[in-house]
Amino acid sequence: MANKSFMYAVYEAVQHEMRQRKDMTWLFELTPAVASNPGTPVINLEKEFGRTRVTNTGIDEMWMAGAALGASLVGSPSVTYIPYQGSQVCFEMIQNHAGKLHHMSGGDSTMPAVFIIELSGQSPGFAGQHSDYECDSYYAHIPGLKVVIPSRPYDAKGMMASAIQSPDPVLFLYAAGLRQLSEEVPDEQYTIPLDKAAVRTTGNDLTLVSSGAGMPAVMEATEQLQKAGMKVEAIDLRTLKPMDTETLVKSVQKTKRLLTFDQSYYTLCPGAEVIARVAENVDGARYKRIAFPDAPPPASPEMFNWMRPNASHIVGAARKLVS
Amino acid sequence: MSDHDRSRATVERAPSATRRALLKGFAAAGAAVSLSSKVAWADGEIGYWAKDLPNEKLIEMYSTILRIRWFERTLADKQLSDRSFRNLIHLYAGQEAVATGVCAALNNKGSLREIDVIYGTHRPTGHAIAKGVDMKKLAAEYNFKATGLNRGYAGEMHVADKSVGYMGADGIVGPAAVIAAGSAYAFRARGSKQVSVVFGGDGTYATPAFHSSLNNASLLKLPFIYVVENNLYHQFAHYSYSCPLKDIAVAANTYRIPGVVVDGQDVTQVYNKMKEAVERARAGDGPTLIEAKTYRYYAHWGAPGAEVGKMGSFGYDPQAITSWRPERELRDWLQRDPVDICRGTLISWGVIDQAKANAIEAAVKQEVKEAFDWEAQQPLCKPEDGVKNVFVQGSVPARQFG
Repeated sequence: MANKSFMYAVYEAVQHEMRQRKDMTWLFELTPAVASNPGTPVINLEKEFGRTRVTNTGIDEMWMAGAALGASLVGSPSVTYIPYQGSQVCFEMIQNHAGKLHHMSGGDSTMPAVFIIELSGQSPGFAGQHSDYECDSYYAHIPGLKVVIPSRPYDAKGMMASAIQSPDPVLFLYAAGLRQLSEEVPDEQYTIPLDKAAVRTTGNDLTLVSSGAGMPAVMEATEQLQKAGMKVEAIDLRTLKPMDTETLVKSVQKTKRLLTFDQSYYTLCPGAEVIARVAENVDGARYKRIAFPDAPPPASPEMFNWMRPNASHIVGAARKLVS
Repeated sequence: MSDHDRSRATVERAPSATRRALLKGFAAAGAAVSLSSKVAWADGEIGYWAKDLPNEKLIEMYSTILRIRWFERTLADKQLSDRSFRNLIHLYAGQEAVATGVCAALNNKGSLREIDVIYGTHRPTGHAIAKGVDMKKLAAEYNFKATGLNRGYAGEMHVADKSVGYMGADGIVGPAAVIAAGSAYAFRARGSKQVSVVFGGDGTYATPAFHSSLNNASLLKLPFIYVVENNLYHQFAHYSYSCPLKDIAVAANTYRIPGVVVDGQDVTQVYNKMKEAVERARAGDGPTLIEAKTYRYYAHWGAPGAEVGKMGSFGYDPQAITSWRPERELRDWLQRDPVDICRGTLISWGVIDQAKANAIEAAVKQEVKEAFDWEAQQPLCKPEDGVKNVFVQGSVPARQFG
């Protein structure tokens, strides 16, 4: 047990699985297969497992996703780490192939493939083509693909272990804004189910739902609201598909108020799906969603910081909803 | 494909090292001596089109190289010392002769129905300045100002200026090649004599876009020129990680189009090859792949390992773990600097003398200083403008407040 960063925890899970499975592979471009963390050993997958299994590719995300998929189809668990600059270039392989092959083959094909997609650009100056937080919605729409988005190092490790062991393809969204987070993470391997949300705080006044990089703001706002006397039930989705409807419905049946928070675009953001599922099952509740406007993030910090949903927006909207 | 095309589908070599060494020697000596062309151009002078250019044009090319150089050195210094200049920079220094030589062979004036267009990379400064983008507005855009080239929406990595045919920096490695070929497709379809050029790094070879653009441009005989700036590294990885060819230009053989290797440090050599490619494109004979061998003096982004007032990123870049360039490699390339080579050529041709060369450089430095001084006075963006310009008309609702 030691304090570990988000990606260190992920690499630890991968390293463990690669030691167990001599046929497992890792494909990367530009982002070296190395993780270091104060007080723990450096993990260097390339050095430990060699370049045949741990492969630095050119700038070709179609290859990366296709190769991981093809490897998994013949029984080699395979992980690829696709940086944010290529998060949609690989879409066809994942959406039209990984998402459909099990069903198309009448249940014959299994795909122990994990596509790590980095979400980035939600910081001033990036903008335009260097922003891709919205792709949570794109991928969550695909049938046959599990889509997970952990918000903490502990969850990231357990969900990566589950993802590699899963016979279904898993899209593992890594919100790069969480890079700096660290917390106590066990050294040994453990798994976390890929279909369960986590209730972070319990309360009767308001259900507040987010995921991934939205969670730090949610926890900050929750703390402020709790101090002011509002009892907030903060839920971390962790998995966008399959979505844990039961936990959401149970919470809103109690609070009758639901506020969702996303850094994704407003239209079809994960919160829209959360609200729809709850509305189908709970009578007499009130709803609100906070999201990035339906505009590409601009480069100017003045424009961007005004548009980006933050903790004070949550506090303001929560007060209106509960009043 | 005609026999004519087939015979041209060969890879030409860069000029001899001897000639470069000579030029370098004269530049260093600072002497306005005439060069014996029999010795210096032993490769032959047929096709040495830059020698036919008027003096003013050659001087303008030299000035352009200097503008890029000093604009970028200012950027690097500001990155290291001036927090009021907020930017993400991907420096082009070392590659100036490529953008300059390419754009010097293009038509950079007129409407979108007349002008030649270029699509750049997100190492944009060289392409932008060479095509004629205003340095003041460029500096303001890099610092996210409301009066910047793209009104603060683009930042450094996504700048564009349609008015000079600079269609924009591609934030993603690859797609611009196909889009540029699409513009060439329109030129062909509407019977225009315009030419479309894409710049791509050595890293673009691995992308499907590289092959799609060349294949389709060849099949349709599009007025399209793919300029690979092979600076040896994509981000932090040597191009041998992603390309099995030593000369990327060899890939042209696959598409049965001319593939040309050129010394990217020598602006006249780049111009010579580019002029032939442009003429071929305008004549309806189809695309050309030009590979310019070059080098970037700084790291992939920012200026780690650089010092204020000195050029180049030295030492180990902490962002690079898999592979990184040896410092001596950078020092070697600095010996073949595009500014020195261009100055040496112009002096040896008697176009300018050393005093005039110095005066031009001083004037350019002043011009760059004025651009950044102007930038510093420009207003910041209005936050609420972020929801404008999504569609041509109107704005989208703010959703961040719930």
